[in-house]
Amino acid sequence: MSRGPAALVSRAIDWPFEALQRALGAARMPYVFVAPNLLVFGIFVAAPMILNVWYAVTGGTQLMPGDRPFVGAANFAELLDCTNHFVVATCKQDRFWRAVGNTAWFVVFQVVGLVLISLVTALILNRRMPWRGFFRAVFFYPVLLSPVVVALIWKWILQPDGVLNAVVVANGGTRIPFLLDPSWAFIWTIVVSIWAHMGFYTLILLAGLQAIPSDLYEAAEMDGTAHVRVFWRITMPLLMPNMMVVLVLALIRAVQSFDEIFVLTGGGPGTATQYIVQFIYETAFANQTHILGLAAAASMLVGGVLLVLTLLQLAASAQAKRSEAKR
Amino acid sequence: MANLSLRGIVREFGPLRVIHGIDLDVAQGEFVVFVGPSGCGKSTLLRMIAGLDRPDGGDVLIDGVRVNERRAAERGLAMVFQSYALYPHMTVRQNLAFGLENQRMAQAEIDRRIGDAARMLQIEHLLQRKPGQLSGGQRQRVAIGRTVTREPGIFLFDEPLSNLDAELRVQMRVELSALHKRLKATMIYVTHDQTEAMTMADRIVVLRGGRVEQAGSPLELYNRPANKFVAGFIGSPRMNFLDAVTREGRNVVVDDMPPLAVPAAAETSDGEPVTLGVRPEHLGFVETAGLPGTVDIVEQMGGESYVYVTLANGARLTVRRPGQTALSTGDAVRICIEGAAHLFSRAEGEPAIAPRVRA
Ligand SMILES: Nc1ncnc2c1ncn2[C@@H]1O[C@H](COP(=O)(O)OP(=O)(O)O)[C@@H](O)[C@H]1O
Ligand SMILES: [Mg+2]
Repeated sequence: MSRGPAALVSRAIDWPFEALQRALGAARMPYVFVAPNLLVFGIFVAAPMILNVWYAVTGGTQLMPGDRPFVGAANFAELLDCTNHFVVATCKQDRFWRAVGNTAWFVVFQVVGLVLISLVTALILNRRMPWRGFFRAVFFYPVLLSPVVVALIWKWILQPDGVLNAVVVANGGTRIPFLLDPSWAFIWTIVVSIWAHMGFYTLILLAGLQAIPSDLYEAAEMDGTAHVRVFWRITMPLLMPNMMVVLVLALIRAVQSFDEIFVLTGGGPGTATQYIVQFIYETAFANQTHILGLAAAASMLVGGVLLVLTLLQLAASAQAKRSEAKR
Repeated sequence: MANLSLRGIVREFGPLRVIHGIDLDVAQGEFVVFVGPSGCGKSTLLRMIAGLDRPDGGDVLIDGVRVNERRAAERGLAMVFQSYALYPHMTVRQNLAFGLENQRMAQAEIDRRIGDAARMLQIEHLLQRKPGQLSGGQRQRVAIGRTVTREPGIFLFDEPLSNLDAELRVQMRVELSALHKRLKATMIYVTHDQTEAMTMADRIVVLRGGRVEQAGSPLELYNRPANKFVAGFIGSPRMNFLDAVTREGRNVVVDDMPPLAVPAAAETSDGEPVTLGVRPEHLGFVETAGLPGTVDIVEQMGGESYVYVTLANGARLTVRRPGQTALSTGDAVRICIEGAAHLFSRAEGEPAIAPRVRA
């Protein structure tokens, strides 16, 4: 017999489950155990997803699904309705296309920057150096912060009378409207989002680097391999599976970017930093008229893109597992 | 081909000294095996020779030149790692070529060397495969092939056979010996397996706790072990050890049992406490006198037999007899010495009286 608080608790919750098992039979017990999770998943994930499809093919501003008239693909047609598909201003929903364009640029710069910075950080943290454990923790720390906290910290740094401008002024410069100038604001959304997430990707890459046997580096040393060649011919090829996972994960999450940026810039100035998820949110919930159908249709389009990216990610991790097995 | 000298090599990891001043000379073309129990510093020593690790004291000399500061690749050595350390994402051919490309060698010469090595090691049909598609034995050959293409002055091996199954191990042992004869190269081979040492070495260096216990040819070590440790480590099954006291006239007494005649080189004095060491193959059975005991287990191998005996004082002995035996469990036997016996002083384990070896 085991003692201690854990044993006490387990004895206390033992009898109801035993009674339940006697009533239902052992074969039905698994369903009992998954039921709570399934309930939460059903209410907060599955049902809204199904409901979203209904909203996407119905119109009007009514909230109740039953009150909404069926409009077929009209919402999609409206989103895609442009006289010239290369000029955003000619589109009926130009805010949608502006958000799509902003998101595309954001994703390109954010993902490239994120992957490169994470890689360099992982390479450095993988070296033998003093305080290595401390630095690993430091780089991971922002991942643990709530997005709102991240945004507020950076707002405090970037606002006109913020910390960064204090430094600029102290060095004889003039204040820069970091969050009020469209280009600056765009750049800072990228920087902040990289800062907030790089710890996670650094961790994945660090794990990949540590999985490379040190023997290989010693063999390369015996072979008289130059450092640059070791990096390109040994480290990079063996890190590739992890790089793929990081790349695709970063892509998916960049497309979904919303919370930090919404708190940091609110999408502004103007629509300079309004990305697609914010467009959906505002169309559905924040504008005076809640155009639920349009928002639902837009979210289905984003969902389609994410689905493709997720399939890529699955393929990438399957590839990673295969090459792991071969090692 | 090169020769190697170690002069007072010391290595410390933090406060822990793991190599305690090793001096050793390896002649050109010699096959030297470092053998010793796990953790005795074999790999550490080999890595310092290779240049993957730096000694904290002493010098490494290759062809008489001090190479302490020289990088691994500039020492003219090649090493087979215990894990093989093949590059998993490169084909066998790319693995073999990688080090040669680093030297900016002409492509024709690279092809020639890979061709020669592949033929010698019978891996020609594997050149386009990746290491993951090879069996353990094939990977082993590729790893050896990679060192052969380098045409190094000295080959280094760190327990290269320990990941192979028993049958393959025997086969690779033979092939490595053949490779040595063929290349006439200097080879330094690390193992914890005394059988590998005995079968392949020109000279064995027995290490314990970062010190050389004895260096010599396999038969020197077998016939004249410098101390109890070497005596116990070399030879399989292991040498039997009994605590005994010497009597005059080349006799010893084990506890209260009848005196035992010892074929020692020198006269024994009276009353010296010793450890008597006798190899299983040097024990026999007699009708009278000898040490009384009971048979525990008999292992019949057909060509030879192992008889495990417990003596009257509780000590256990292994007796190895040629051919087959009629003995079985529970039989009462009397044991005598029929070959060399070794007397070690109890305290230091050094030979108290030199053994006399039967020719
Ligand atoms: N990098 C290291 N750091 C600390 N101790 C080490 C290191 N490498 C080896 N040792 C220690 O040195 C001793 C000898 O190790 P090693 O040479 O690997 O033994 P062997 O190869 O004979 O089994 C061991 O006690 C081991 O723990
Ligand atoms: Mg070792």
